[in-house]
Formats: sequence, structure tokens, C-alpha cells
Amino acid sequence: MKSWLRQHRYALRITLRRLALQPFSSLANLLVIALALALPLLGSAILVSVEPVAKQVSVTPELTLFLAADAPDGAAERIAARIRGEYAGQTAGVRVVGRDDALADLRSNPAWEQALAVLPGNPLPDAVVVTMTDAEGLAARADDLAAAWRKWDHVDRVQLDSDWVQRLEALLRFGRIGLFLLAASVAVVVLATVFNTVRLQALSQREEIAVARLVGATESFVRRPFLYLGTLTCSIAALGAIAIAGLALLPLNRALASLARSYDAEFSLHLPHAGILALAVVGAALLGALSARWSVTRNTRF
Amino acid sequence: MIEFQHVFKSYGRGRNILADIGFLVTAGEFVFVSGPSGVGKSTLLKLIAGLESPSRGSIQVNGQRLDRLSARARPYLRRAVGVILQDTHLLFDRSAIQNVMLPLAVMGLPTGQAHGRARAAIDKVGLSGKEQLTPIELSGGDQQRLAIARAIVNRPAILIADEPTANLDRDSARRIMEVFRDFNRVGVTTLIASHDEPLMAQHANRTLRLEPGKFIDIGGHA
Repeated sequence: MKSWLRQHRYALRITLRRLALQPFSSLANLLVIALALALPLLGSAILVSVEPVAKQVSVTPELTLFLAADAPDGAAERIAARIRGEYAGQTAGVRVVGRDDALADLRSNPAWEQALAVLPGNPLPDAVVVTMTDAEGLAARADDLAAAWRKWDHVDRVQLDSDWVQRLEALLRFGRIGLFLLAASVAVVVLATVFNTVRLQALSQREEIAVARLVGATESFVRRPFLYLGTLTCSIAALGAIAIAGLALLPLNRALASLARSYDAEFSLHLPHAGILALAVVGAALLGALSARWSVTRNTRF
Repeated sequence: MIEFQHVFKSYGRGRNILADIGFLVTAGEFVFVSGPSGVGKSTLLKLIAGLESPSRGSIQVNGQRLDRLSARARPYLRRAVGVILQDTHLLFDRSAIQNVMLPLAVMGLPTGQAHGRARAAIDKVGLSGKEQLTPIELSGGDQQRLAIARAIVNRPAILIADEPTANLDRDSARRIMEVFRDFNRVGVTTLIASHDEPLMAQHANRTLRLEPGKFIDIGGHA
């Protein structure tokens, strides 16, 4: 066991020596990998920062049925009663907003007061606002109900009030898939960079490998420094990527803060929490080891 | 210790480099492998070291059948055979002592112990005081000595050397041969490939002579 540990220590020392012997090329490799890894990190920072905002807004859709202008008196109450009766299991609440109440509500807003004063009469229709119960398949169900109610007599238009939240959710879904694709592309870039680095190292260490084999080195002994090279390069690059992403967020957050203030809101981008970042470093290290193993197996067959 | 039985070696579909070779070298012997250039002396030594595999026949080294040895087990056999190839294969970016410590690092020896043994090996081949020099700073003869020190540092049972005195002046060659003799005296089985007839005449008590299409064991076992 001790001998095994000593061999690992020797491999680590050899790896650090090889890295130190080529400082510029080692640094360039680290930078390329770190910059590549920083891209999905920044993407995830945007996603993890926006997701809670989307979650805070209720996605429970409210359906508003606007009645036709020529709908008879009491039509809104009859529609409300029908919904309560036929869709009791799917609705959390049904209320009628009469056209006079709606106009009074608008008039109470100074911004609308002048515009409404020039109108000859009340242009607003009666409306029925239906709040859906929060359950599985809510979005699809709301769409179905809206389509069904649109066909009812005296109903002019049905509006799904939480459309924008669902659009935001769809956008986040799109973002997650995009981030996954970006991360996969970056993984390929990292694999290729480490593969090539290890290939060049193996070629330049040809003599050392031959001598090691001559004096009885096992293939594990020969490969170990290269595995360390891949693992170390990627873990250091991953830490560098975190630092780069963190630094990039500073000016972004400054710009975002002034934008958010203009909307009387507070919002900032932040990196995923430490556990996720630690996982990212471990993942990058594994990726580096995997690529190094593949490269060293292919490039030390001589 | 080393036994060849009907050993053939060829590369690809080419002609046999070695054909129907058979001999037995017992523990503690000092044997020369002689013959003209290109006759297969180096190949024969590489077969003993497990650096090459025979095309046919059986080879037994230190109690192990090489032709049946798995790739995984080969490195462990190599640790029992000290090899000095024609090109010394020294690492020119490392000091003399670091070169000699390499076989011990491969075995996972503690650094302190490895350092002590490497220093002793360097001392034994007469390179004391040159431990920190890189091979490029050493003469041809000293580079050969360093290669010998690296080959003997893990106390192998067998020592094989391919033309260790080629490119050396007569005096350096004589001193290198004395180093081999010293190791042989303490029981290390030694095989040296050479085509230096006067040198062999001076040192050999047994010679395996390779000629194109012929193998002669001079002074061998009946």
C-alpha cells in the first residue's frame, strides 16, 4: 500500500515537473480550457438566477371570458353559474366583473381618466374570471377549457392570463436545453484539448517511457503521470473558470442593477451554489482523466 | 537460469533472424554472445529481457516461461534482468543519480532508501562524485558506467549488455569489462553481446557464437 502511494507521489511529482518545464504551453492550455468551461458556468448563472423569479410568479392560470357587447343582461352570471356547475373540480374560483364595475375601476386610475372621458359610452364588456385549480397538466387543461368556452353563446374572447409566465417557463426550458448542448460542446473541446496535450507530452517523453519500460515499469506506472496531467489540468482550469465567471458577473451585475432599479426591482446574477460548483470541478477532473487515459493508451504504443 | 529451446525469431513474413537456437546458461555464468553485425545478437538479448517475443520455441528465464508470460507479468520479469542496450537510453534532462534511481521509483522504494542504493551503485561503477552531473556532461565510458549502475541498482539476478564497449577506447573498454566481472564474481549471471574478438579472448570462458544460418556454443554445457 505504501509502495503504491509512493508511486502515485512520484507520478504527481513527474507531472508537476513536466508542467513546470513548459510554463507557457501549460498556461495556454489551462486558459483555453478555463475559458471554454466559463461559458456554460455563465449560462448556468443566468438560469439559476432567473429560475426563482419565474417560480415566485404563480403559474396558476386565470381564464377571463369577455362577453360580446350585445350579450343580454345576466349572461355573465349564467356563464359563471354554468362553469361552477360543470367544472367544479377544475376551478378554484369564479367571479363576475360587470362592465360598470370595470369602468369604475379604470376611472379610478388617473392615467385612464382623460381617455375614458372622451368616450360616448362604456366600451367595456362584462367578464367572468375563472381561477383554475393547481394540478397535473394545468397548462394543457387551461388551453382545452379556453378552446371549449370560446364556443359558448355570448362569449366573444377567452384570455389565458398567465400566458407570459408559461412563455417564460418555456424560455427557461429552452435555456436549459441550450445550456446542456453548450456544456456538451465544451466537454468535447476539453476532451480534444486534453487529448492533444497528452499526445504531445507522450511524444516528447518517448525516450523516458522506453527507459521506464526497460527497467520494469508497468503500463500503469507509464500512464499515471499522464492521467495526473489530464486531471490536474482540468481541475485547475475548472477553478479558473469559476474565477473567470465570477469576475465576468461583476460588470454584468452592475449593469443589471441599474436596469432593475428603473423597474423598482432588485435582481442580480449569481453562480450556482458551492455544491454544484464542486461537482463541476470533479466532473471536469474526471473528463480530463478520461481523455488523458484515452490519449495515453493510443499514443504510447511503441 | 536461461534456457532457449528451438527458438525462432522473425519480423513479419521476413526471414528468420534467429533459427532453431538452443542453449542453457546456468546461474552465475559469464557468457559472451558473439558474431558479425546484423546476425541477431541484440535480438537474442532482447528475447532474454522480455523486450521481444519469440516467433517459435520456448524461452525460460529465471524460472519463468517467457513465451507464455502475459504482458502484465513481463515488467516484473524485467526487474530481475538488468539490461544495458547499445544505445545507453539515459535521460539527458536528469542527473546521474536520478537516472539510477528510476528503476527503484518503478518498484516504489522510499526516496531515502532509493537514494542510498543509487549512490552505492554509482560508487560501485566508479562514478563517485559525478552523481549530480547530467549524462551529457559525462564521457562515453562514464555514460556506459552510468547505464550499468542503472541496470544493477535493483540487484538483478541476470545482467545483459549489448556491445557495452563499442565506441570506447581500449582502456575504457577494459575498465567496463572489469565492472561486469566484479558483478559476475558476486553471482550475477552475465551475458554480453560483442564482436570485439581480443576482448572476448581476454575475458570469456564461454561464448555463444551466432553466424548466418549457424549457432555454435563454445565451452557450453554438454
